[in-house]
Parts: sequence; C-alpha cells; structure tokens
Amino acid sequence: MSDDVFLRVNDVSKWYGDEQVLDEVSFEMDRSDVTVLIGPSGSGKSTMLRCVNRLAEAQEGSITLDGEEVLSPDTDVDRLRREVGMVFQSFNLFAHLSALGNVALGPRRVLGLSAAEARERATSQLERVGLADQLESYPAELSGGQQQRVGIARALAMEPKLMLFDEPTSALDPELIGEVLEVMRALVDEGMTMLVVTHEMSFARAVADEVVFLDDGRVVERGPPEQLFERPEKERTGRFLERIASHD
Amino acid sequence: MSAPGSLALAAADSLGALAPSTAAGETPLTAATVGSVSESIDWWLVGDPADWWFVLRNVDYLGGGLLLTVGLTVASILLGFLVGFPAGAVEVYGDGRWKRLVETVGVVLRGTPIVVILLVIYFVVGVPQVNLGIGSISPAVSAGIAGLGLRSAAYQSQIFRAALGSVDDGQLEAGRAVGLSRFESIRYVVVPQALRRSIPGFQNEFTIVLKDTSIVFAIGLAELLTRGYDLFTQQTTAVLEVILFISGIYFVLTFTTNRALDYLGTRYAIPEGEST
Amino acid sequence: MAGATRPRTVGERVADTDPSVGRILLVAAGALFWGWLVVSWVNRWLGGVIAPVGEPLVAPDAVEGALAAVPGLAAVAPDVAFVVGLTPTLAQGTWLTVVITGASLVCGFFIAVPLAVARVYGRFSAWLSLGYTELLRGTPLLAQLFVLYYGLNLAASVPAALSGVFPRDVVWVAILGFTLNGAAYQAEYIRGAVESVDEGQITAGRAIGLSKLESIYYVVLPQALRYAIPSWTNEFVYLIKYSSLAGFITVPELYYLANRVATETFRYTTVFLVLGAMYLALVLTASKFMERVDDRVAIPGLGADRER
Repeated sequence: MSDDVFLRVNDVSKWYGDEQVLDEVSFEMDRSDVTVLIGPSGSGKSTMLRCVNRLAEAQEGSITLDGEEVLSPDTDVDRLRREVGMVFQSFNLFAHLSALGNVALGPRRVLGLSAAEARERATSQLERVGLADQLESYPAELSGGQQQRVGIARALAMEPKLMLFDEPTSALDPELIGEVLEVMRALVDEGMTMLVVTHEMSFARAVADEVVFLDDGRVVERGPPEQLFERPEKERTGRFLERIASHD
Repeated sequence: MSAPGSLALAAADSLGALAPSTAAGETPLTAATVGSVSESIDWWLVGDPADWWFVLRNVDYLGGGLLLTVGLTVASILLGFLVGFPAGAVEVYGDGRWKRLVETVGVVLRGTPIVVILLVIYFVVGVPQVNLGIGSISPAVSAGIAGLGLRSAAYQSQIFRAALGSVDDGQLEAGRAVGLSRFESIRYVVVPQALRRSIPGFQNEFTIVLKDTSIVFAIGLAELLTRGYDLFTQQTTAVLEVILFISGIYFVLTFTTNRALDYLGTRYAIPEGEST
Repeated sequence: MAGATRPRTVGERVADTDPSVGRILLVAAGALFWGWLVVSWVNRWLGGVIAPVGEPLVAPDAVEGALAAVPGLAAVAPDVAFVVGLTPTLAQGTWLTVVITGASLVCGFFIAVPLAVARVYGRFSAWLSLGYTELLRGTPLLAQLFVLYYGLNLAASVPAALSGVFPRDVVWVAILGFTLNGAAYQAEYIRGAVESVDEGQITAGRAIGLSKLESIYYVVLPQALRYAIPSWTNEFVYLIKYSSLAGFITVPELYYLANRVATETFRYTTVFLVLGAMYLALVLTASKFMERVDDRVAIPGLGADRER
C-alpha cells in the first residue's frame, strides 16, 4: 500500500477489557489537511486520537504515518511522539515550570538543543501564540486560555509533522475559547496537518477538510464539512448535530 | 524486675534439663550433623543451627520481655490518649495562656529524643514505685510509661488537633443551631467525626510507640530488646540469631497492629468519607 | 502576583516577623547557641587558637565568680559553672550528632528516591521496595543498629579508605544504620508526594517524546520533591533525635558523652536538662531552616494551596 496518503487509519479496533471502544475505524489525511473528529462523549474520539501517538494502544488494524507503520512493535514510540505534537483538554502543563520552561523542556531534553537554543526556540513559539509577555509566568498564574496556548506552543516547539488536539477548548470558560481557536486557525493557515477532536462545530465547518462522525466506536459518516453538516446521510449524524446545535 | 526474670530463667533451665543440656546438647548437632546439614540448608538459614536452638530454649525468657513490651505500649498509648486528646482540643478551641502552655510543652516533648525524656523522668523527676493492690509497678516501669506516654501525648495532640481542625466549621454552627451548647456541639458533633479521621495518624503513632519501647533499654527495663541483649551477651555466638528473632517478633507485632487498625479504619469509616 | 516570585529581602523578612519579646529572645538564644558551636568547632580544628583544645571558651571559675556577685543568681552559679565546664564535651558530641544526621539524611535520600519511584511505577521492583520499607519500618531502629553492630560486627570491617576518618570506626556503622532506616521512611514520604502529582503530567511528558524514566525525572520528581518538603522535615527532625541511639553502640555523639559525664559526676539533673535543651535547639533550627527552604522553592500554584 505504498501511496502518498500522509496518515492512513485502517480498521483500527480497541477494547478496554470486554468493552469495545473502537470498532474498525478508518480514515485518511493528506499533508496539510485538517480532519475533525466529532461525536458524543464516550464515542471513542479521544481514544482514536491517542492511538495515533500510542498514548493508547490499538489492538487491531493499522495506522501508517508518513509511510511508517505506527502500530508495529518495532516502532520507536519516543521518536513517534517527538514528531507528533499533542494538545490536551486539561492542558497538562508542567506545574513546576514557567511558560518558557514548559516549552523549552522538549527541545532541551528530547531534541538535545543547548539551553540557549532551547530558550530561543521556546521564546519564538510563545510569541507565535501571542504570549511574549508571559514567558516567566507559572501555569497557576495564567488564565485557562493562556495555559492552553502555552500547551500549543509546547507541542509546536518540537516542530511536529502532525498535531493532535484533544478537545482543546472543552475545559475553558466560553469567553476564553476564542483566543485558542484563533491560534489554531493561524496554524491551519500556515499549512499545519491537524487532527482535531472538538465540539466547536463552527470551527470545524470553517477549517476542516474532512469531518469524521464517530458513535459507539464506529465511523458513522465522514465527508467534507458542508456535506456532513448540511446534508448528513445518516439519521444518527443529523440527530447528533441537532442536539449540539440546541446547546449552542 | 528480677522476679519474672529469674522465673523465666528457671523455666529455661527446666527446658534445658528436658532437652540435652547446653554443652552436651550442642555436640551431636555441631560436630556431625551440622556439617552435612548446614551444607544443604546454609543458603537460606542465616546463622548457626546450634545458636537458633539456644534462642528457642530461651523463648520463655524472651516471652517475659514481650509481655513487658506489649504492656508498656498499651499503657503508654492510653496515657498518651488521655493527655493528648484534651491537649489537642485545647490547641484548637482553647485560647490565651492555656493554649500557649500546651503548645510549648508539646514543642519541647516533640523536640527531645525519647531517650533523654526517659532519663530526665527516671533520674530528675524520679517517679516513685506505684502500688496497685494486686502488685506494684517499679519506678523504672512507671518512668518508662510516663516518658513514652507523655511523648506520645505530644504527638497524639497534633493528630487530634489536625483532625478537629479538619471538621468543617459549619458542623459546629449546625450543632449550635439545633440548640446544643458549644461544648455539647464539640462533644457530640465534631469529636465523633474527628476521631474517625485520626485513625491513620493514630495507627502510625501506635507502631512508633511499640518500636520505641525498645529504648527503655536505657533505664534498664527488661523488655524484649533488653532481654535479647542479655541473652546474646550470655552466648556471644548467638548475637545475630537473637536479634533477628526479636526483630521478627517486633515485625509481627507492628504488622498485625497495622492490619487490625486498618480494619478498624474501614469498619468505622463514614460512607462516602473524605476523599484524600 | 508578581511579588510572589520575587525573593524577599532580609529587611522585609524581619519586618514581617512578629516582634514579640519571646521571639527576639528565641532568635538571640539561637544565635548564641550556633555561635558557640561554630567557634568551638573551629577552635578545635585549628588546634586551639582561641582556647586550649578541651577547655571551655570562657573559664568556668570566672563565670562562677561573676554570677556569685549578682544577687539572686548566686544560688545557680555553681551549676552554671559546671555547665560551662561541660561545653567542650557538648560541642564535640554535637559535631558528631550533626555529621551523622546530615550524612545519613543525604545518603538515605538517594536510596529513598529510587525506592519511591519503584513503588509507584515499578512492577516487580514495587514489591521489593514495599518489602524493604515494611521491614525497616516494622522493626525498632535500635534493633537494627544492634544487628549491624553486634550481629554482623561491621565496625571491624570498615573499609581502609573510610577507617580513621572519625574517632571510632563504629560511627560508619551508625551512619549506615540511619541511612538504611531513614531511606525507608523518606521513601514513604516521597512516595506519597509522587502519587499526588497529577497523572496528566506524565502523559504530557510522554507526548513530547520523553521516555517514562525521563518524564519521571524531569517532570514528576521536581514537583513531588517540593510537595514532600513538609513531611520530609519530620524525617529530618526524627533523625536528629534518633541519632542519640548511636550512643547505644558506643558512638561518642552528644547523648553518649553527656550520659557518661552524668554517670561519672552523678549530676543527672543538670546534665540531662542541658542535653534535652541541646537537642531541642538542633531540632528547632532544623525545622525553621526547612520552613525557609519550603518558602524559597515554592512555586505559584504548587504545594500547600493546592492541597485544600
């Protein structure tokens, strides 16, 4: 299957004990694509995301990233994660480090840059997410939106070829969501390849190349946003979108 | 002190009479048998079988020490509770002079090694012989209980202080609101909750007191460790065997008390108790 | 809170403290105590530049004479003079107490951290770690010292390189005993702190490509060790106090020397009260010092205000 598909997820299944959380999930992305995974909570979106950088282990199927099999036991997991950035719902900033320290840790300890180089790279990434004035602040001194932007800068500092976003705005107060989405939009414009789990439908509609609707661990429907949002083929998709819309 | 000691020694002697006596008894073991036996069992048996035999022959003597160890622990914990609980309450609810006094005494007791506390009580304060009708407690034993007990009180007061302090203020207010007096609110509402919360700290304190009874060695009390010391000075080849044996006893004691208090903790836990 | 991260000046600290008389007295007593100790030690190392080695810094007779002249203090003059006469012995014993405590605490720490990490993140090693801590915490420290000293006779097998560093080789046995024992207790405190670090922290570390061990080292431990400081202070204080048990295996530390003087002179009351005060001073210094350390390494949002 040598092709130029950048990320191919093929029939991935996963169980926690007896409970199946992913059931033959398949989709693919090209370079610079933005794919958004949507679905009710517990539908397996986050688990699917985590299988891509192997924070969760899929038991069946295959995931190829840039021509390499991710799920192979020979895969160097640390190298994989170096190349795939991740942004968490709960930010997970290193609580003992300043914004700068958070972003510089990876370049310094994983990529082996000198302290000065790592600092420089971290500074420029924090500038990129609009936090040039908060370099020395600790996570507890930042607002949720600022913390999440540090989280994005931390992932970007590793110069990843794919970025995973796991509900990046779900833990934020409504008035802080905008600043994070703005940063993400800027990344889309720069051509970053992004796989995003989110409930922000307007964001998905605006930037996604493809939207994948998951329910009960299965892909119910996938397609370009205009099609999926305007003319869903499956009844379940429509019901889900209606429910989400009524909450907005 | 000497009476139970000589009794136990006598018991050991009679055991010795039943079994082959020391010198004669060792010969068959050490000379022929041990040579071959030790080759096969050496790798797991620490020490010399003859010395383990010596330990076993004196088990009654050590048993007397064990009784004193357990007695000291129980008495000291009780004394510690009787003094420590009110002290903890004073630190939370008291004010002014009393609170400061209790705090200062607590700092001194917690900041001084137990061996120094024991020596001060034994030599400086001079606890008298206590007569209980059924028998008397020697000055050394009362000094041991007083020293371990008061030191424990200083620590228990901290456990109870923290536990009382952790009960929400609203509980006290709610008690007052249903018409209880301040004292009654504390007694019937706060204390029952606080006592449950103090179980983990209390468990820790229990094992500390148990282990520290070994330090009454300093004032010559014949508890478990002291008796062990007496034994291995008698037969110096059996040093390791004796100490490992008594260490084993201590371990069993601390282990079982801990498990017992664990059980108590779950038994009396308030459903949906505080998350830690 | 910009002010929270800025180190406070000495002036601000003094201004912050409660200027009550008792506090000033306590600080003065502390300064006198440590001043006396340090001058005594230096005097000894330099071979007696201030006072002959083994002699008090101030002549007991002079003190007795001066006090006797003050009405009301005359009655205690002989006792005070006696204590002044003891000071070289006390300073000498305290030196060993401080060294044993410090060395054991530091060595124990380096054993405790791997023990704690193994306990939380290991599989087989978790059981080993559990066994070690349960065994060492379940038996009396004095019995452990007896095992090392009487049972294994380790004092006779101190390596040549270490032999002769201290007045008696048995000091090494005491340090070993306190290290092994203290490691078990420190491991418990550190384990508690490691467990309190949010799991997402390690996930985030792994997500940027750190290995599990690297995540523990760079992310979990720096936070956990800060959390552990208050409970770790307890262990520090315990060790100062329990270092007195070294006296039972003939280590000439503070308790041992004082006890010997007491039995030789029969002045139990004076000697033991002074001895108690000495340990109290050491313990109070240690806990004040650790409070300072705790303040110093505090990070906004980490530690105390997080627990509630």
